[in-house]
This record gives sequence, structure tokens and C-alpha cells, in this order.
Amino acid sequence: MNLTEITRPVPRGPGWLVTLLPVVLVVWGFVGVYLLQLAFDSTARPGERLVQELAYFPSGVALREMAIEYREAMADFIWLVAIDYYGRHEQTDRRYEWLGHIFEVLTTLDPRFIGAYHFGAITLAWDAHQPVEALRILFSGMKANPLNWQLPFDAGFINYILIGDYQSAAKLFQVASKLPDAWPIIERWVPYATARSGDFATAREMWKDLYYSTDNKKLKELIVRQLKWLKLEEGRAKIQKAVDRFIEKEKRVPAGIQELLERGYLQELPEEPYGGRYYLEGNQVRTTTPASRRGSG
Amino acid sequence: MFNRIAGIAVNTFRESVRDRVLAALIIIAIVVMASAKVIQPVALGEAEKIVKDLGLSAITLFCVLIAILVGGRIVYREVEKRTIYLLLSRPVRRTEFIIGKYLGMMLVLGVSLLILTAGFYLVLVLTGVKPDSRLLLAVVMTGFELAILTAVAVLFSTFVTPIASAVFTFLIYFIGHSTHLLKQLAAMSPVVAVKFIGLFLYYLLPNLNNFNLRGDVVHGAPLNPLAIVISIAYALVYTFTLLFIAVVIFNRRDF
Repeated sequence: MNLTEITRPVPRGPGWLVTLLPVVLVVWGFVGVYLLQLAFDSTARPGERLVQELAYFPSGVALREMAIEYREAMADFIWLVAIDYYGRHEQTDRRYEWLGHIFEVLTTLDPRFIGAYHFGAITLAWDAHQPVEALRILFSGMKANPLNWQLPFDAGFINYILIGDYQSAAKLFQVASKLPDAWPIIERWVPYATARSGDFATAREMWKDLYYSTDNKKLKELIVRQLKWLKLEEGRAKIQKAVDRFIEKEKRVPAGIQELLERGYLQELPEEPYGGRYYLEGNQVRTTTPASRRGSG
Repeated sequence: MFNRIAGIAVNTFRESVRDRVLAALIIIAIVVMASAKVIQPVALGEAEKIVKDLGLSAITLFCVLIAILVGGRIVYREVEKRTIYLLLSRPVRRTEFIIGKYLGMMLVLGVSLLILTAGFYLVLVLTGVKPDSRLLLAVVMTGFELAILTAVAVLFSTFVTPIASAVFTFLIYFIGHSTHLLKQLAAMSPVVAVKFIGLFLYYLLPNLNNFNLRGDVVHGAPLNPLAIVISIAYALVYTFTLLFIAVVIFNRRDF
């Protein structure tokens, strides 16, 4: 045997740099993809974003047939998308153009999803200012779930607080109170609606009852906003009443709220819940808090 | 005869268990179910419903995939690898071979259902959702749906390639959940021929929606025991019929 053959050095494998190269290339590839996506997202026009939002939601009937036996799971997915949609717009422009459509699709996929009707109706009525649309969703829910008390109760609540149709509200509360497992508090709401009171104290009590009945964090936030708004309106109404009494007696517009206090037309200045202050503009009471900070009413 | 069928079934089970597709599908299903834990905090009071829906849907979806992907090649593979000649040269009838293969596949699905259900109940405990015994009924009914679907897969597996079998079985699965549209079409159409064809297909194709109790169980709706018994009988009769067709086709094949 030749000695040189025995001592021939074993060929060395590729260096660590060569071994690492594919990994580095793959990582850089993904970094490139990430950067390009960032660039793409920043160039998308608002109109395109709107179309993308809408693109998630074809008609509920079509989705129902496509989802075959996974309708409930699909509805859960859309529930998460609805929460995201609501949360995103609540934090930004407070415009909820597609909210009604989303909840319509959601409840078409799973007509027994009571939480979706409940949350959808309340947010539609107060945040999206679409009480009629909210009632439509609730009535379709009542058809699909005739034994559920929550839906007629919500419909009555919207009729009472927002629409001011006390007769319908009383009927709906009556229906809700007779259904299985109905919340005992509803019984006390029937006379409220029948008496057509519509005052701040009653509304506040109703909102509070609703607050303690739900585990939904976003709904609780909405109720807190409504209670705050109600307090502002209550304070404003109280001062307005004093202004009207002043004008009636003194035959002139008061110089300011201070004069109302000094002359005894107003016992104390109501608290402005947003930290602003009430002032008079002619014979109308206003607040320094801009409308955008006040939430909905 | 029973020993021979049992032997083929056990071998089919062993062979399928070694299949990486099966292990991958079970792992993915458990990961999907466990993702409910992540969703829970953002579900705004609907976590219980979502955890149950997601778990039951994952069990069904992944078992359907196992039935389609693994079941669709169990007979074809024997023919392709020519192991069928070895088997049929022994005193094994073709009927026994098909029934054994089917039962072996059902054993695979039964074990998969057990593993996934155990995973689902673990997820329920981890997410603090009360495990409801009615959920088990939904899983059992999924088992009967799988019995029909596996028979469809085995039937196709006797005369087409695994890919074609998977595609056809998936189509039957999709149509089987949309048969109510055929009935609606028959009711709405003024044309007698359309009415006839619509109703004929409605009764011919498997009505797989009969076995979906998940919505009722999750929403706590009352269940109809008679409908459940009829559905189980439907699954058994349909499965026997499909297996009979599979045996007839397989007997006519020339090996």
C-alpha cells in the first residue's frame, strides 16, 4: 500500500458559512416579504380598505351554503371579526357602515346565536344610530328563537329609550317577562313603559340593570358611555329648565349660569361628567366638551 | 371468516397508523382545538360557545379528512403494490377483503375520534368550560357520518386512483350536506322532470346533515331521540348498500 494514500488528508466539508447561507437567505427572504407587505399596506387607499372589509362578507345565505356543516364555527369566526370591526371603528372614526351587514350575516349563519343579536342590536342602535335596523335584526332573532326572553327585552329597551314608542316597549317587556328563565327585573320595567315616563332616572336604572346582566366587556363600556352621556343631558336639562323659568319671570335672557345660581333659579351647578363646563349661548345651554368626546346619545 | 376479516382489519389499522398523514392531521386538529384558549379572552362573553363549536368542528373536519385521504387509497394501494395477489392467493374472499379493509379504516377513525375527543375535553377543562355529556352524543353522530363517508371512500378506492377517490368522496361529502337544496329545487320548480330528478337525487345521495347535532348540543336545544335512532339506522343501511356495491365492483375486477 502506498504511504501517501494512507496519509492523504480527509476532504473537508463545506465551511460553517456555506452551511449557514441557506438559512440566512431564507430569513432575509421573509424580511423582504415583510417589508414589501408593509409598503403595500401603507400605499392602499382608504377606498381599497373599505372594499377589503366588505370582501369578507358575501351574503349570509351564500356563506351558509358554502360552510356546509361548519356554520356555527364560521359564525364564531365572523363574531370575532365583528368584535374587531366594532373595536377598530370605536377607537378611530366611530363610523359603523358595515356593522348591520356583519350581524345580519352572522345571525343568518347561526340563527340561535343570542349573544350576537344582543350585542349587535345594542351597538347598532346606540353607536351606529340605526335603531330601526337593530329592531329588524332582533325581530328576525325572535322568529328563530321564540322562547328566548333577551330578544323581546332588547327590542322593548330600544323602543323605550331611543324610539320613544312606549306602547310597543310595554308589549315587548310583557312578552319577555312571560318567557322561560326571564330576568325577574323585566317585570318592573313593564309599568315604567306603560307609564310612558321616559325620564332620566328611569333610563339610568334601565341601563344599570343592563350593565349588571352582561359579561360582554364592550357592551359594558358602551353602557358606561351612555350613563355618562345621560348625566350630561340631565345636567343640561336641569340648567335649561332654570333658564326657561328665569326668562319667564325676568323677561330677559340671563347673563350666564352664575346669575342663575346667584338669583336662586339654580340650587347648585350640575357636574359636567366629561370635565368640561356648561355655558349659555343665547337662551340655550351648551357644554365646552366637543361632541366627538361625548360618545353617542 | 370472521378471523380473516379481523386479520385484514387489524393489518389495515396497523398500516394506516404508520401513515404520516394520519399523525399530522391529528396533531393539527389538537392545535386547532387548543387555539380556543387564545381566542377566549377576546370572545366577549361567548368563549364557551366558541370553545365548543371549534372543538366539535375540528373533530369532524379532521376525521372527514382522514376518511377521505387515508380511506381513499386503502384498496388501491394493495392493487398498486401488487400485494393484492398475495392476499387473494390465500383463502381470502374478495368480500372479506373489502369488509376487512372498511372495518380497519373504521378502527382508525374510531381511535382518531377517541384521541380527538380526549383532546377536546382537555381543552374544555383548560378553558374552564363545563364538559357536557351531550357533547359526546354529537361526536358519536359524527362517527356515523364517517361510517357512510368511509364506505364512499372505499367504494371509489376499488376502481379509481387515490386522488380521484379523494376528489369524488369530497364532492359527495359537500353535496351530502347540501341535499336540502335539491329538495327545495324540486318543491319550487314547475317542471315535472326537474322535480323528479331533484327528489331522486335527494333520496339517492347521502343526507349527511342528519348527523349534525353540534348546533343543537352547543345551544342547549332539545334533541329528538326518534330522529337520532332513525339517523343511526339510515347510516347502517346506507353503509351496507355502499359496501355491497364496492364488493360487486371488486369481484368483477380482473386480477
